[in-house]
Amino acid sequence: MNTDDLIRQLASDTRPVGRNSVARRLAIGIVAGGIASALLILASIGVRPDLGTAMQGASFWVKWGYTLSLSIAALMMTAQLARPDSGRLRGLWALGIPVLLLAAVGLLELARTPSSQWLVMWLGHSWKSCPWLVLSLSAPIFAGLLWSFRRLAPTRLRAAGAAAGLSAGAFAATVYCIHCPEVSAIFVLTWYSLGILLATLVGMLVGPRLLRW
Amino acid sequence: MQTTEEHLRALMIDGLDGDAAAHAALLRLLVPLLRGFYRRRVRGADDDVEDMVQDTLIAVHTRRATYDRGRAFTAWLYAVARYKMIDHFRRVGRLRPIDDLEELLVADEFETSSIAKLDIDDLLEQLPPKQARMIRATRLEGLSVAEAASAEGIGESDVKISVHRGLKALMARVQGAMR
Repeated sequence: MNTDDLIRQLASDTRPVGRNSVARRLAIGIVAGGIASALLILASIGVRPDLGTAMQGASFWVKWGYTLSLSIAALMMTAQLARPDSGRLRGLWALGIPVLLLAAVGLLELARTPSSQWLVMWLGHSWKSCPWLVLSLSAPIFAGLLWSFRRLAPTRLRAAGAAAGLSAGAFAATVYCIHCPEVSAIFVLTWYSLGILLATLVGMLVGPRLLRW
Repeated sequence: MQTTEEHLRALMIDGLDGDAAAHAALLRLLVPLLRGFYRRRVRGADDDVEDMVQDTLIAVHTRRATYDRGRAFTAWLYAVARYKMIDHFRRVGRLRPIDDLEELLVADEFETSSIAKLDIDDLLEQLPPKQARMIRATRLEGLSVAEAASAEGIGESDVKISVHRGLKALMARVQGAMR
């Protein structure tokens, strides 16, 4: 096509773009994916029956605080990598804060528990399935983020894929809290994080292929 | 009409606010800039240049939400242009063997160049930010002096002076370290 015709055609479709449209697009993608994951839980493994009482306890909020703050920090990385001139990443250290805080809570718990109980506490009832469930639930959220990226312009595709995978994993873990009855911080620190890490790895592997534009 | 950073940026922002005429004017002004950018990097192959120019115009249009109004427009533009060039050669490379590809991909060469890059990053960090940016733009990223000047929104002679002073300071520092 002739370049002048191309320009005319492109300019005829000049819609206004809001200031925060990158953030908004990412938010829509991750929330839509999160809703899909929640529906998936409802349709398969179900919500924990004591969710109402659990939400009054501290351990539920420790879990949520961990996964939600990790999602937010990861999403901030994703938003930076969604721009072509991303340069040096700012705020990467923020990802470490939730991990350190949860580790501190875990150490406190260990100190207050007799060491004969440590293994039971660490493995819980669901250590074998937890990482895989988090990984599976991250798939719809990752798909939502892929939709967001259709109007974004990452130039470091591997890093952008990893950041999107990390966001999807951490948000999937947040959603998974409505099912998971585990209470100990070291359980969450190990098995939730393992699921989130797997999602990050998958994102890193598929990023260069799926985020091209 | 001049194609300066400020002018392009103003047109971009008007376009983002929904002004189709400003957006069309912006895209038209980008054509010679992009042709120059690609011609300097691809010898011959005018078809390739025009393909890349059109791909970049489409990307500037469809991905314009990723432009941050607080930042330099030309830096954003050339980041898109560079990505489109790499993408173009990745696609073309799959259809047509490139001569000397093996030499390009020799692993140890990549390693030395990345180590050298790390050293350079360390050195540049010790310079005033403007000098470091200008050296990076003109000597590492391969922008011309004019492109770097408009990306930074300063004069060409200012760029040359920054690069010159920066390189001189680096030279002194490296020689001092070797002594």
